[in-house]
Amino acid sequence: MPRSDVAVALSFEQSWGRLVAGLIGWCGDWDLAEECAAEAFAAAVPAWEASGIPDAPLAWLTTVARNRARDRMRRRTTESVKLALASAAEDEVAAAEDEDIPDERLRLIFTCCHPALPMPARVALTLRTLGGLTPAEIARAFLVTEQTMDKRLVRARAKIKHAGIPYRVPPPELWAERVEGVLAVLYLMFNEGYAASSGDSLLRIDVSAEAIRLTRSLVDLIPGEQEARALLALLLLTDARRPARVRDGRAVPLAEQDRGRWDLDQVAEGARLLEADPPWGPYAVQARIALCHDVAARPEDTDWGAIAELYTLIPPTPVIELNRAVALSMAHGPEVALPLVEALAGDLADYYLYAATLADLFARLGRSAEAAAALATAIEQAPTGAERRLLRERRDALLDVSGA
Amino acid sequence: MKYLMLHTVDESTLPETEDGGVGEELTAWVDEMSARGVLLDGARLRPIADATTVRAPSGSPLVTDGPFAETKEQVAGYDVIDCPDLDSAVAVAASHPTTGLGAIEVRAFDDGMPDPEVPDQVAEGKRRYLMLVCADMRRAMAREAEADTSEPAAGDESDDGEDEIDRWIVDAGARRIYGWPLDLPDRAVTVRRVDGKVVTTDGPFAETKEQIAGYDLLECTDLDDALAVASSHPVAGGGVIELRPLWA
Repeated sequence: MPRSDVAVALSFEQSWGRLVAGLIGWCGDWDLAEECAAEAFAAAVPAWEASGIPDAPLAWLTTVARNRARDRMRRRTTESVKLALASAAEDEVAAAEDEDIPDERLRLIFTCCHPALPMPARVALTLRTLGGLTPAEIARAFLVTEQTMDKRLVRARAKIKHAGIPYRVPPPELWAERVEGVLAVLYLMFNEGYAASSGDSLLRIDVSAEAIRLTRSLVDLIPGEQEARALLALLLLTDARRPARVRDGRAVPLAEQDRGRWDLDQVAEGARLLEADPPWGPYAVQARIALCHDVAARPEDTDWGAIAELYTLIPPTPVIELNRAVALSMAHGPEVALPLVEALAGDLADYYLYAATLADLFARLGRSAEAAAALATAIEQAPTGAERRLLRERRDALLDVSGA
Repeated sequence: MKYLMLHTVDESTLPETEDGGVGEELTAWVDEMSARGVLLDGARLRPIADATTVRAPSGSPLVTDGPFAETKEQVAGYDVIDCPDLDSAVAVAASHPTTGLGAIEVRAFDDGMPDPEVPDQVAEGKRRYLMLVCADMRRAMAREAEADTSEPAAGDESDDGEDEIDRWIVDAGARRIYGWPLDLPDRAVTVRRVDGKVVTTDGPFAETKEQIAGYDLLECTDLDDALAVASSHPVAGGGVIELRPLWA
């Protein structure tokens, strides 16, 4: 019955993270929790097809998963596990309503994003345990083998266990720092997904959409955190341009994008999320910069002066300085920006957008030979085929004009 | 005198078992050295995949995954031994099975270290971590080399440092079992077995910018608890601290 297939899928979207989070809190064993959650989802398909969708799907899934977990724990023999089993066995009563099951996803998010885990493991673990992606899907998304991804996940769970990473929402003295850490993981996840979506492989799982979904859940769980809302805004306002980013396997630069294809609902939602007063954190500032682009009907309507101004509100990393220089070049001309960009040579020598920006400024100043040399460097450094193609076209256009 | 034996091995060549595959030999060594009153404390550490490092360049601690330095061989365990002199400490180390797997760095503790008192059982609901305190010691070594030939300079800042350490020890309370600073790394001796023969070399097991300056054995509820202790250590501002769970 397709209806129940849909129900399982829907329930998966909403319930997987809650189910796993609750199971880990209940048994303290990440592997067991995930295995049994997966089995409960698998069991739901035939059961719900036969007798209909239960009133409280999450409670149903939790009960099934716990029973599976108990079976497995019984089969283990060590005394310590038997003791744990004895205490776990006491709460056999299944919750009748989904609302009766406490939402423990926050504990799970903070643990997955703990700073003692390697960054790639934080991203993978969050996608697996909260997002419900399979290791194979995550492996494809990050262009690694399934074996590598499995190992990464196993090692992360082992570290949580052996190093004693607590399963909890951080106390007040760690709150700000750990929230920042979670946001950094979600932002990285989005960016990696976004970059991959313009790459050669279009069949990969949409990690950016997953990052947006997880950030949305986080905003629901910690509504008081302005930077979490700002991050959601930033992701939406960036993602809104995605339909226009790639055409015929070629990355389309902002100025050449078909703005009619931008997702205006996402722009509106992002703008609404930013309707708070300053002070703004780094995500809020970046979101406002994205909004400046999104509300310009034509490229020449972009308020580059405002963008350059906004960039001064973020702690100046070399990449931020590069972006500010680009905005200044648009507002006040390439000759203003060139010295700023050249000063970043030492920090950004390996970054393809540094060379690409330099090439653009040289070209606008009529210094074609230098522009061509910088483009050659950028082509060599570009991370995806779509970007390489775009840069090659620019170089060809430049050589045509200069008659070389 | 008390010496630290720091066991270092290339983890990638080891079976991941509690005894590193040298069970019987290890038990015999521990039994013998305990009976002789030589062995005072010791433990195997969880692999570096379970290590966590704290750096605090500007007061806000930076927590990262992994050990304090990327080296070919990694610290895998430690023993505290009491021996009359360095030669006998090296002999004790040379008889340890680790010399067949990797190397053992032997380094004296600073003077005045009391016998460590470590309960056999970990307290209920707690875990143990070895907290390696690491710092760039090149300046200290240069100063010490200088001091051998001249009078110590007046107004030495080390008293301040000791006050800070004392306050840290009080704050750590029961979360710290014991700890002691080590002699400078250039006075260490590293023991290996090459073709069945014991070879000793001068200096620590690896030449890294930061070197192990001392350690504390912690007993904490979880990693965050241990990180709180580590981040408040006075060296965290200018050095690096590595937390390694003990093999439970």
